[in-house]
Amino acid sequence: MKHEQAWKLLPDLLEDLADADLLAHVRACPDCQRQLFLLGRVDRMLRDRASTQRPSRRPRRSSPHGLLLTTAVAIGTVAAVAALVVGSRSGAHTMMLRTASGRAVGQAVMAYSDARNVSLALTARGLPVKSGQVYVLWAGDSTRLPMQVGRFMVDRTGGCRVRFNLPATHKWKRFWVTAPGNPSAVVAST
Amino acid sequence: MAATDVQLLQAIAAGSEPAFEELRKRYAGAVERACRRVARSEREDCAQEVFARVWRKAELFDPGRGSAAAWLLTLARRTAANFRRGRGGSPPVELAAHPPAVSPPDVDGFWLDAGLARLPERERKVIELAYYDDLSESAIAARLQVPLGSVKSWKRRGLNRLSTYLGMELP
Repeated sequence: MKHEQAWKLLPDLLEDLADADLLAHVRACPDCQRQLFLLGRVDRMLRDRASTQRPSRRPRRSSPHGLLLTTAVAIGTVAAVAALVVGSRSGAHTMMLRTASGRAVGQAVMAYSDARNVSLALTARGLPVKSGQVYVLWAGDSTRLPMQVGRFMVDRTGGCRVRFNLPATHKWKRFWVTAPGNPSAVVAST
Repeated sequence: MAATDVQLLQAIAAGSEPAFEELRKRYAGAVERACRRVARSEREDCAQEVFARVWRKAELFDPGRGSAAAWLLTLARRTAANFRRGRGGSPPVELAAHPPAVSPPDVDGFWLDAGLARLPERERKVIELAYYDDLSESAIAARLQVPLGSVKSWKRRGLNRLSTYLGMELP
């Protein structure tokens, strides 16, 4: 499949409609992988907006997880696609943490610690190391109200392994990391 | 290739009126939505005030501190807050001293409004029907009375175009 044709058909991956030729091209094409990563973000923005516009309606017909699973399986280790994966394992909910450029810098794993608390394990490596090496972790729930989870330090390589507790009364959907004192300076987000 | 939002703000800071018009065209709808909390009669005035402040304050925008969309959304919310307090004409808060207090989901929604507004009408319509009205492609074709192939094509093009816009704004 030629690049131009594959590029045109990339959105089909959002609906589980891709054929083997398209996946084979994407596997070998960094530009298409990048575009696929961006398509995933746009798709998520549109779904988030749709869910706030019609909160009482049923979920959309096709689950993004189907796409992501199919795509991830097909493409294997393509990092751009891995960014989109929101998976579950042994009751835990794992979200990849990425910088705005798509670089994977860690993951946030949520699990119920008891009836009232959700434990969040944040593991990162390669966060941009800045003076003081302190970052702020934020969480957003389905009502889109951000909550400051806490501060954490990274080592000189930008790595960390920290745990936080969050109230289980919210459905935490998203996490992001900012510099202290500047909530808009997002360093990485799920 | 079209200028990025950051490039437009930098050009506005240098006094470029075409850049200002382009930014206003992109974000007019999004800014009006951000002003939706003010009284309906004042909504238009609020949006106009936002862009007047963009013109005056563009030089304060620092791409190192956040995205152009985050800066614009913060400006719009603060202007709307001033309107709610009945001080629409008062001097705005100094943005450089107060970083935007907006969350990524909010900024995503704000940017999305602007991105959709840049799409050709038929591509925007198909995407809105697919995502916001939860219609299948067949249902969209029936609703718009166009061939199914056209719907598929417009949706693909629109999504690819939005993704390209998004990619231009990322560092």
